Amino acid sequence: MIVFKDISKIYNIGDETVYALDHVDLTIKEGEFVGIIGPSGSGKSTLMHIMGCLDIATEGEYDLDGQSIDVYTDNELAAIRNKKIGFIFQSFNLLNKLTIEENVELPLIYQGVHAAKRRTRVAEALAQVGMSHRRKHTPNSISGGQQQRAAIARAIVTRPALILADEPTGNLDSKTGEEIMALFQELNIAGHTIVLITHDASVAAQAKRILMLKDGKIAEVRDDN
Amino acid sequence: MIIKSIKMALKAITSSKMRSFLTMLGVIIGVTALVVLVSLVTSATKAVTDEVASMGKDMLSVSIADNKGKPLKIEDLKEIAKDRSIDLISPKLTSVAEHKMRNGIKSSDVTRIGTNGSHFIIEGYTLASGRLLKHADLDNNSYVSVLSNDIAISLFGSTDIIGRDVVLDGVKYQVVGVLNTPKGLMAETNRNNIYIPFTVAQRLQTDASTGNGIREFLLTAKGADNVSRAEQVVKEALKARFGDDPEAFHVYNQNEMAKSIDEIYKVFALLLGGIAAISLLVGGIGIMNIMLVSVTERTKEIGIRKALGAKSSSILVQFIVEALVLCLIGCAMGIAVSAGILAIVNGVSSGAAAASAAKMTFSMSGTVILVAVLFSTVIGLVFGLYPARKAAKMHPIDALRFE
Ligand SMILES: Nc1ncnc2c1ncn2[C@@H]1O[C@H](COP(=O)(O)OP(=O)(O)OP(=O)(O)O)[C@@H](O)[C@H]1O
Ligand SMILES: [Mg+2]
Repeated sequence: MIVFKDISKIYNIGDETVYALDHVDLTIKEGEFVGIIGPSGSGKSTLMHIMGCLDIATEGEYDLDGQSIDVYTDNELAAIRNKKIGFIFQSFNLLNKLTIEENVELPLIYQGVHAAKRRTRVAEALAQVGMSHRRKHTPNSISGGQQQRAAIARAIVTRPALILADEPTGNLDSKTGEEIMALFQELNIAGHTIVLITHDASVAAQAKRILMLKDGKIAEVRDDN
Repeated sequence: MIIKSIKMALKAITSSKMRSFLTMLGVIIGVTALVVLVSLVTSATKAVTDEVASMGKDMLSVSIADNKGKPLKIEDLKEIAKDRSIDLISPKLTSVAEHKMRNGIKSSDVTRIGTNGSHFIIEGYTLASGRLLKHADLDNNSYVSVLSNDIAISLFGSTDIIGRDVVLDGVKYQVVGVLNTPKGLMAETNRNNIYIPFTVAQRLQTDASTGNGIREFLLTAKGADNVSRAEQVVKEALKARFGDDPEAFHVYNQNEMAKSIDEIYKVFALLLGGIAAISLLVGGIGIMNIMLVSVTERTKEIGIRKALGAKSSSILVQFIVEALVLCLIGCAMGIAVSAGILAIVNGVSSGAAAASAAKMTFSMSGTVILVAVLFSTVIGLVFGLYPARKAAKMHPIDALRFE
């Protein structure tokens, strides 16, 4: 469960103060599928980074699964990212020097899972996104849609409760984007909490709940739950 | 985890082979310089010291630096030689003389050594023809000479020259004997000598400061067991004469000589090794430079890895291992190149050895390989640490936003 209590992220550029997030209150429960929309520069990515423990709020409190993340060290935050959160980015962010299989394997390596178990988990994750046949390829040699599938495999290989996706369909054509969205639906049905960031209203429409960010302020748009 | 890090490092290194090779080049050259130079020097040292040690363990060599106005005479040597521990004793007076050919035009400088017959036995020289110097030659101040083989050939074109004359500084000496070419490395220096009776050499000596005394002599003990006693006897006798001045005279035994040669070569090896180590250090700086570039280039990668749950320590280890692997691959290549170079040097030197009596084989010492590996490791760690820390300290979000 994610609870933002009066979260602000403030950047000081020169003597100008930018509120990338402006006193955001927010609760996301297990199993939800939340779409966050908003124009460019509204603070969507900032929100996701804080939610994903990649960044820390300037003000306010973030409780993850009932525990304020302030208490954690950097190493503990790394472990939390590794076990509880799977990230999916607009530009896929696969490592080009590694094969698809090796990319998917990385989170498990950092978790200290031993080799035999890594192999079966990687195979499962790749099968789940339909990428088993490309496992020996490098990211450069497959299509964008396939890269995003691989990135999703990497995000789910540790079986995290929470999946954070920042514009996952932004670099894909609409048909491929739909396929990826279908995957997210499957993952949500399988029990993953999904927070999906987009500025495309039709993509957001597939979420059960939609939040709107504008100039760092959040507003509830729709909640089907 | 470490094995995985090494695999990752190898992947990063092999993904841009040319650049990795150029990065390693400094280390390759440094290691090659270190291994080759030190191997050459230590092999040479071993050859020379072995030779010196084998050259008569019962030999002592004495040099007198300051005779305090009391020059040592042949009679004094005879007195010293009376001790039961001493076998042979031989004075030695070395100078350079000009040799004129009979036509009076061609001339060359030769080494003229005034000594007695024992000298040849102490040095282990053998006769090719004629005879050695005799006591009578010294007693009668006879103008006779014994030539080393090379000089006989170069002056007369033959060793069959008994009864002929050599003219040194305008003085004629009848040739009574010609030596065989001596074997071994040290003998190289004694191939152009002309030996004349010590008493005759002494007369030629015009330098007043030497006071016509003996400045140098060799002796052998009766067997290796008597060496320390003989050394004692000589030291006592010289002390009685010249007083308790440690600078006045020196008595060397072969072990000491081998040791002092060893010392000289060690300094040599250290010096050359030091220079090579500096080039290795420069190689390390090259690695640091490229690693820093690589960290900047891979900012995004670092961000992704951190997002996936890599701890700072994992990133640190990854980059240090990469620097280390670069250094060690460079080191291995350097050792391989060194082996090649030494093999070539050995080929050349064994070709040359056919012509001369000396033979030397250059081999890589285990110690220098160990030093090279350790040094490369240290360099990898030291110069990898700064870039690796820089990578590890990167904030995941700054790294992810980097394009
Ligand atoms: N490191 C930073 N330093 C200064 N300002 C920043 C920094 N990161 C983000 N911002 C600012 O915070 C605001 C929110 O940025 P954010 O990236 O969250 O927007 P976004 O909604 O994801 O936009 P987009 O749809 O273009 O990705 C922007 O005004 C941005 O300029
Ligand atoms: Mg964004």
